[in-house]
Amino acid sequence: MALNQIMQLLAFIALAFTVATFTHRLRQFRALARPGERSTPKGKPGYGILYAFTLGMAPWAKESTRRHWLAYLRGVAFHLGIFIGLGIFLISPWMPALPNDTKDWLCIVLGIGALLGLAGMVARFIEPNLRHLSTRDDYIASLIVCSFLAISSLWLAGMVGMPIYYLTASAMLVYAPFGKIRHCLYYGYSRLFFGRYFGIRSVLPHGHPNGLS
Amino acid sequence: MTNSNLQCAMDVLDRQLNQPLIAALEVCARCGICAESCHYYRAEPNPEYVPAARAEHLRNVYRAKHDFLSRLFPSLTGAEPLTEQKLAQLADIAFNTCTLCYRCTINCPMGVDTPLLMTTLRAMATASGHGSEILEIVADAAIEKGKDPSIYLEFFLDSIQDMEKELQALTGNPEARIPVHKKGAHKLYVALAGAHTILPAAAIFNSVGEDWCLSIYEAANYGIFLGDASRARAIARRIVDEATQIGAEEIIISECGHAYYVMRWLAPNWFGDDFQFKVRSIVEIIAEYIQQGRLRLDASANPEPITYHDSCNLGRKGGILDEPRTILRSVAMDFREMTPNREEAFCCGGGAGLVAVPEAAEIRLAAGKPKAEQVKRTGAQVVAAACENCRLQLGDLSGHFGLGVGVVALADLVVKAMRLPGQAESIEEKMRSEARVRSGD
Repeated sequence: MALNQIMQLLAFIALAFTVATFTHRLRQFRALARPGERSTPKGKPGYGILYAFTLGMAPWAKESTRRHWLAYLRGVAFHLGIFIGLGIFLISPWMPALPNDTKDWLCIVLGIGALLGLAGMVARFIEPNLRHLSTRDDYIASLIVCSFLAISSLWLAGMVGMPIYYLTASAMLVYAPFGKIRHCLYYGYSRLFFGRYFGIRSVLPHGHPNGLS
Repeated sequence: MTNSNLQCAMDVLDRQLNQPLIAALEVCARCGICAESCHYYRAEPNPEYVPAARAEHLRNVYRAKHDFLSRLFPSLTGAEPLTEQKLAQLADIAFNTCTLCYRCTINCPMGVDTPLLMTTLRAMATASGHGSEILEIVADAAIEKGKDPSIYLEFFLDSIQDMEKELQALTGNPEARIPVHKKGAHKLYVALAGAHTILPAAAIFNSVGEDWCLSIYEAANYGIFLGDASRARAIARRIVDEATQIGAEEIIISECGHAYYVMRWLAPNWFGDDFQFKVRSIVEIIAEYIQQGRLRLDASANPEPITYHDSCNLGRKGGILDEPRTILRSVAMDFREMTPNREEAFCCGGGAGLVAVPEAAEIRLAAGKPKAEQVKRTGAQVVAAACENCRLQLGDLSGHFGLGVGVVALADLVVKAMRLPGQAESIEEKMRSEARVRSGD
């Protein structure tokens, strides 16, 4: 078996491991109690949840993201890059069939994603609050994901070989269930609880003609 | 402090690990974007006051026990086991540097429920003997009162009789009454200690001819500040039982943020089918009377510039955002909004029981700086607030920061602006002219 195929196989075994571990974590999570809500709603929880997953994510929706709009958009773009990178990984065995123009565009997008991730890492080093908050896991997770995006981009550009690409992907996938990367598993739930809490109270979504700072 | 105390604290954490708590523990990406949402951080930009940094202290303890990577390599994630020193630090963070105001949650891109984490810390600290002593004393006193109300009932009824005379003088209505524990009353009004939350409400209820009665209990529930659900339930239980006994259909909570939050949003979950009442704040009732045209109001009785402070428990955590504005636009000539307001309003710094804790006075006043600056920017002479603890804090902030503002409840403004049926002048004008007659002017 050629090295390319061995590394590809290893990467997909890593993916299977990640999926299995995430599934196990999710099962454990879902087995926990979710407090019911018996108070009479003032607003519509459904609206709150819808808001939490749509307009509530807009940069203008919160004081914090209006203030830190650049950092927020950087983070959003970085995460979009990760999803695109994962999508490319899933279709990577069929990559030769992709038109060159598409590959070029994806190469640029992933490269930008890697740079934005790198900018986030630099911010963690230089910004006092972020440096205070950050754990080694934060740096490792950022480094590993940035490397994945950068190598993906270089692979699409033909500048690194397939074994390196799959090795980097494997490293990220194996690390994901253990470190900070797994926060993605809980994101949907957190926004769901957020939307329900403020929706049932009719706090969000709320028209606030004079409320914006 | 013993190992059993530490075990007790960890047991509390383990028992409370449900979906919302795990999500709050796991989802934070430590982006730090929440920093300025916290009034403590705004007042003093210390990295320890970033909400995510506060929450990390609990996360580190959680990781040390529940996270595989952290158990192998604790230094990677900052995991640390709970020690006596750590528990004392956690208690200090939870009781003195967070007012559970939810401003960080509303500003978090993930929606992390940091107040839930801080409430869990409070519960851990309380269970292991690190809770706030004064809050425990107040909570336990309320529970004891509920066990045998006869001890103070006679004194209470006497004071209500005196208050009734005051009410009749205030309203000019000899038929005005403050019924207590009246069987079959439609609304059970739960006030705070003292006449200031009883008289204005009584004047309003009498004016509209409401079928109401006053509860023999106080609305305040300090059990909730301890993170101690069993104490909070016991305090709320007294009111639920009283409402059941008299057959009330609705419980009305006086202008008190946390009492409203407990009875409106928590108690129905605690008592299940035993809880068959509608719960509203007096603020909602007054706004409804105004919208129904049942109160005759004269805004000229309140000519000075007035601003409104959104209590976190009523506003961001309770959804009472429009009603206070409905009231103020009807009773004040010059109502000015603070910026930001409503769900984005700053906490005054007195919430979550801090205003009752003498040791927290210095940090509480310092953390009130953003609110004080907001008040100052409006140029208002009066700050209205629908929460007792907020009013106490705002009064202290006025003195501390030299704001020179008066602090009032919404019901006070309403009563000042009320024109009684058949009377051409408002209560305020009536009182002023009576005072002029008395002084011989």
